Amino acid sequence: MKTHPEAKTPDAPETIIAEATPSGHAGISVVRLSGANALAIAQGVVGPISKPRHAYFRSFKTSTGDTFDQGLVLYFKAPNSFTGEDVVEFQGHGGPIVVHSLIQTCVEGGARMARPGEFSERSFLNDKMDLVQLEAVADLIASASEQAAKSALGSLTGIFSKAVNALVSAVTELRIYIEASIDFPEEEIDFLSEPFVLERTTMIEAQLEEILKQAEQGRRLQAGLSIALVGSPNAGKSSVLNRFSGQDSAIVTAVPGTTRDVIREQLVLDGYPIQIADTAGIREAADEIEREGIARSYQTALMADLSLWIIDVTTLDLPRLNLSRNVLERHLVAAQAALFQDDAPIKRLIVLNKMDLLPEIMQNQLSDLLVRDAHIFMVSAKTGRGWDDLASGIKAMAGVSEDSESLFSARTRHIVALTEAAQHLAEAKNSLITGLPGEFMAEDLKRAQVALGEITGQVTSDDLLGKIFSSFCIGK
Amino acid sequence: MQETFDVIVVGGGHAGSEAALAAARMGAETLLVTQNIETLGQMSCNPAIGGIGKSHLVREIDALGGVMAEAADAAGIHFRVLNARKGPAVRATRAQTDRQLYKQFIRARLENQPKLRIFQQSVDDLIVEGDRVVGVVTQMQQRFLARSVILTVGTFLGGVIHVGLNQESGGRAGDSASNRLADRLRELPFAVGRLKTGTPPRVDARSVDFRTLTPQPGDQPTPKMSFWSVAGCHPEQVPCYITHTTEKTHEIIRAGLDRSPLYSGVIDGIGPRYCPSIEDKIVRFADKTSHQIFIEPEGLKTHELYPNGISTSLPYDVQVELLRSIPGFESAHITRPGYAIEYDYFEPKELKSSLETKHLNGLFFAGQINGTTGYEEAGAQGILAGINAVLQARGDPAWSPARSEAYIGVLVDDLITLGTLEPYRMFTSRAEYRLILRQDNADQRLCTTARRFGLLSDEQFQAFEQKQKAIESLKVEMKSALVFAGNADVDAVLSEPMHKEYRLSELIKRPEVNLPDLLAAAGRPLPEVEVSEQVEIEFKYQGYIDRQTQEIARLKAQQGLAIPLDLDYSLISGLSNEVRQKLAQVKPENIGQAGRISGVTPAAVSLLLVHLKRKGGIVKQAATI
Repeated sequence: MKTHPEAKTPDAPETIIAEATPSGHAGISVVRLSGANALAIAQGVVGPISKPRHAYFRSFKTSTGDTFDQGLVLYFKAPNSFTGEDVVEFQGHGGPIVVHSLIQTCVEGGARMARPGEFSERSFLNDKMDLVQLEAVADLIASASEQAAKSALGSLTGIFSKAVNALVSAVTELRIYIEASIDFPEEEIDFLSEPFVLERTTMIEAQLEEILKQAEQGRRLQAGLSIALVGSPNAGKSSVLNRFSGQDSAIVTAVPGTTRDVIREQLVLDGYPIQIADTAGIREAADEIEREGIARSYQTALMADLSLWIIDVTTLDLPRLNLSRNVLERHLVAAQAALFQDDAPIKRLIVLNKMDLLPEIMQNQLSDLLVRDAHIFMVSAKTGRGWDDLASGIKAMAGVSEDSESLFSARTRHIVALTEAAQHLAEAKNSLITGLPGEFMAEDLKRAQVALGEITGQVTSDDLLGKIFSSFCIGK
Repeated sequence: MQETFDVIVVGGGHAGSEAALAAARMGAETLLVTQNIETLGQMSCNPAIGGIGKSHLVREIDALGGVMAEAADAAGIHFRVLNARKGPAVRATRAQTDRQLYKQFIRARLENQPKLRIFQQSVDDLIVEGDRVVGVVTQMQQRFLARSVILTVGTFLGGVIHVGLNQESGGRAGDSASNRLADRLRELPFAVGRLKTGTPPRVDARSVDFRTLTPQPGDQPTPKMSFWSVAGCHPEQVPCYITHTTEKTHEIIRAGLDRSPLYSGVIDGIGPRYCPSIEDKIVRFADKTSHQIFIEPEGLKTHELYPNGISTSLPYDVQVELLRSIPGFESAHITRPGYAIEYDYFEPKELKSSLETKHLNGLFFAGQINGTTGYEEAGAQGILAGINAVLQARGDPAWSPARSEAYIGVLVDDLITLGTLEPYRMFTSRAEYRLILRQDNADQRLCTTARRFGLLSDEQFQAFEQKQKAIESLKVEMKSALVFAGNADVDAVLSEPMHKEYRLSELIKRPEVNLPDLLAAAGRPLPEVEVSEQVEIEFKYQGYIDRQTQEIARLKAQQGLAIPLDLDYSLISGLSNEVRQKLAQVKPENIGQAGRISGVTPAAVSLLLVHLKRKGGIVKQAATI
């Protein structure tokens, strides 16, 4: 069981942590820790420091003693700091992995991830800001939290989101049994001593481990935003990839079906790391190898944060579509449905490629038609036309923003929450195995659920009771 | 003639009795006005006190000097400890009570309470001056004045009783509804809703064949409900019985649904999901072929039985038929038909945590009028309203326990923050600090406050202090006393022998060890059960308890910031309209409560904080978490 260090003063607010520099950029990153326990928590990462306003050069270590970065540490003693509380600033190497490790280690030490705008809020509440800055603080909190909500949604795409939701349902369902057993002991629904409670707990634990493994080790954090290029054979996916990376990484020929494997490119879009995967063209496959390639394409698209749906604009038969926006849209949606039969949770942008091959008059008509559509882009991978718009579109979808919570911090937040949930689940299992009375297991499970609630929204006691009443016939 | 009191309590049920007794104990001149003195302390529904979540409330009322627990001990004819092995915090006690004995005990306590006067008359109106209530007017136009008035009118406001498609006005079977007062209150600016509840038919025990029923004896030794009751407080103990509905019962009910007021749209009021009528259970859980019924005795000197689990408003002929399809009840005779009752309740979001209404100063609501159900929930609100009515009359600051302090705090905070759409009942899962809110430590949590208000007698408080001293000294002793390896007596109570010396406080943490055995093995004197129980819990589950205590300390820091009731939420920039409306409706008393309103995000709370700060500073108050 994790017990956090007691706050110095019992009524001091929690110690909070967040990255202070815009995340995702290379170079230096600054992570800030603020609150009564800031110094103690920081010392857990970098060893003893004590002198305020003194730059220490230190190794940053995890709770198990592994060094993950080196950098400068500065301690600002309350009230002489940005927030007016004890503050420790870590200046380390940029890059999501390092920042994530630092935040994770501090959270393990008792800090909590700051809400968007919370540093400014504290600074303001502790009289560190003047009246002129007041409005700005309110605006910042409002816009930062809106941005964070968008990023959180952005981070929860594809398979990850499915897995987390499945996990939350599994925990909720188990809690329904446990809480019903506790609150309604005379209703012939006493499950606490049933073997399935331990079985389910173990199952959920494994499920959670799997998600964490994917989320942590997988390419998600290391590579930043993952983008899958999908489309029919010869729609120009590989040319699009090459346009992004500026090098011939995929074989580009005019023969449909050249790309049979998934080709991944690691690149930086306006300082923001992305990983692009080029997939085999999706069509009725001619041979075994190609079928395998197409299967991988599906998988890649499912795993990606964002799919770019590449369509050869010359194959659209635009005159027949009469260039009505509705018809065009329906056509595109239908074309997509043909590729993904099920309603796979894929976030996508539609990219009309090969615009340079269209007669100019048609190019203009199409431009007029799609001028305000944030999800359809007209480009030419060959000439580079429309490329800036597409880049901005991708960044918008990814929730990249210069001064507020990005996809990275949203993800760190998720991983912190998942890690905490995993810890509580392990405690729940332990309390079951050691034969502690049921209420303690119930408490651990509740904590796990609260941790997961940081990602998906909280399940209130009333929600839970509602589910109990609809699942079991209660009523003496 | 016009008499003046400090506090007037309208209604003599479970809320009213506790309210009147608490006010008078605090030294306020108190008047209890009831429609009928004979029904003071009447149990309108099932003859039981306590149960999961509910006995927690009863123990808290008891720690505040209330009457419910002692009455249950004096009237209890069958006691059970529920959840005995699921952990100390969810352990609960339930007493089946003799209705007459219960009523007699309450009435005797009321009649013998100094400073409390009782008057039988219906209250028809409130006397309002400006924004405050200054008294009541009874049916015969008698006016009584007071600084505070507490309404505890139960299901009597606009009460309508349904049996089949017949309906009549009434507050309870045999008692008339308070329609004049209901009409008058509807003219005041309170938001009114309709709720519904019901009871099963009562049965003559002489017509029941007990041979086919499963007896369910009470627990031995018989537990007691009150901290203050002494050994030998209980009357004779009797068993309960269990039987089940049959497929035939379900067929009969289905065939009668066309004459059910519930299913023919006659009843609009919303009933509780956890206490559905038998017709509801059969419709909603159609695949369940049988439902449990608990046969509870109504008392020692009556043949009436209360078949718990078949609450119904079906027509009388269907009630007879369905009852007779139940094993043991083949020739059962109904003494009183079951019925559903619809009644008015007032939106509890319009209350302060003191249970005073926000619209009218000096007016307090307690019990079913606030949308709750259950004697325990009513009593809990009654005692809180009683205390605050006196504080208000004296001009002292209001008091309400925090969510981390008492189930009473959870109850009131849930009501005033979230409101309720169905009759609200307490469950332990509603308490986020459940591990700390145990029925065994209600005295530790509340007695000191109770004493401060003058709610406990000298003897009661001395007993409490003695117990606390005994607990502390046993803890100290166990932390210092060493047991050495090779102590065969102590090894005998352990699953693994000691290989080095241990403190008693370490050994008690082992799951297989209980404190009385350990102390006996270590050759130490045995303390009183309540003392050793407390010490054992505190040592054994220290990790969990400490963690929850720390969490409370952390949250209290952020949540105890007061918000003025008259704050203009339209002036706060950045809030969405939805959040703004919700805040304006609830008018939270502090930041913690604001954050608990459904739909109010942490960002909204931040904006609220920033706004308050700009308005000229933040006032710290006791957090309600």
